[in-house]
Amino acid sequence: MRDLAGREDTRGNLLILVGCLAVALAGRAMPETWAQGLAAGIRRTALRPVVLLAEKGAANNASRFAIEGIQRQRDSLALLVQAGAVTRRENENLRELIQLRHRLTQPYIAAEVLHRSVPTDSRTLLIGAGAMDGVRTFDPVVSPEGLLGYVWYVGPRASTVMTWSHPEFRASAVTADGRVLGMVLAGIAPEGRRVTLELTGVALRDSLPIGTEVFTAGLGGVYPRGVPIGRVMSIGNDPLGYERVYRIAPFANPGASSHVLVLTEPRDSSYLALPVEPDSIALPTSTVRP
Amino acid sequence: MMGTRFSDRGRRNRSTDRARGWIVVLVLVVLEFYVRPSFAVGRGLPDFLLLALLIVSMRSRPSTAAVAGLVVGFIVDVLTPASFGAGMIAHVLVGWAVASGRAVFFADNLLVNAGFFFLGTWIRNVLLVAVSGASMAELAVEATLWAPIQGLSTTLAGLILVVLFRDWLVVRVLK
Repeated sequence: MRDLAGREDTRGNLLILVGCLAVALAGRAMPETWAQGLAAGIRRTALRPVVLLAEKGAANNASRFAIEGIQRQRDSLALLVQAGAVTRRENENLRELIQLRHRLTQPYIAAEVLHRSVPTDSRTLLIGAGAMDGVRTFDPVVSPEGLLGYVWYVGPRASTVMTWSHPEFRASAVTADGRVLGMVLAGIAPEGRRVTLELTGVALRDSLPIGTEVFTAGLGGVYPRGVPIGRVMSIGNDPLGYERVYRIAPFANPGASSHVLVLTEPRDSSYLALPVEPDSIALPTSTVRP
Repeated sequence: MMGTRFSDRGRRNRSTDRARGWIVVLVLVVLEFYVRPSFAVGRGLPDFLLLALLIVSMRSRPSTAAVAGLVVGFIVDVLTPASFGAGMIAHVLVGWAVASGRAVFFADNLLVNAGFFFLGTWIRNVLLVAVSGASMAELAVEATLWAPIQGLSTTLAGLILVVLFRDWLVVRVLK
């Protein structure tokens, strides 16, 4: 900005800087829901060509570099399916024998991750599936390795995922034997080099050996039970000494995930049949008193 | 008469420079959103959008650079909404600082360009993490590990671009 004499107008420059910073600070102070709504609106209008371009880039990457990995996974899965056929048939027979209803299959929606090269990229992921594909808020998001997070905000064609490395992430967790329950949240590894998870809320009487695998507990209604989260790698410190804290090495890396699965309803694949409503129970006439 | 001819030529030069600048920015946008995701995913890779901001800032006034930073920061926040507004703050400050630094250093020197690219990326990353409300440990890791790595990769990409488009990106001194 120059004044009438052609000199640099420092005051005008400063005013514009202050204005820009004021707009930026207003954006930072904006309530989360407003900010997410605004971002989704811009993504589906002004930045739609950019999002489409990024989707094409991610698809190119998958077809060029991930194809060998996908083939290996497909071969391993084919072997597993072949080996599990007999067990599955036995399981179905046993379920019929005890009149247990069939296990529900977990429907899912596959989506590509549109990464950005900024330091906060792994905290939230932008995925190329939205409400038009059947994605809803709070749907769990997993990768082949394990839990990534949940759908934070849904747009018509793209959604934002809050991953486990976000400071506000929480999930109820359980060990494979169901003995120890706790809550996982993001934490920093002791050497400080990377974000890991912490298993908190474990009673002092419970202890876990290093290497124990941790899964989602299914409590809270967001994540289904049994999604792998990570493995215990060390014991942390609770400053108050009220509980045990374990550091968990997560199985899934949000920063390196190129494709994810969004799990849709029903979220729990192992629940039992609901009990009959008391009103609908027909009591025998002999037991009814006048 | 002569003055009019010179001013006409100057205006034509400026509009040609502007058009060339937009072409370079367009190339960087395609590199950022299509070419890079087609080949690699992960941290520490060059940020071509930031590179576009740095190149524009080195060739414009601080006020223009601050507005460009606001626009780039807004795009970053919309596409990575981990902490909305943090990107805008970081990019406005970096754009402003680079445009102001141009008055001190000669921006046509390759070494100066490299310095701007590296420092710009490092400062942007540290600011972004700090404003996002990260812990001190995360900030320390970013400042000592990831920001320098991304700074180096962005500097390398920036230098290649500056060499390739040397005639287009020349800084003209206004008389």
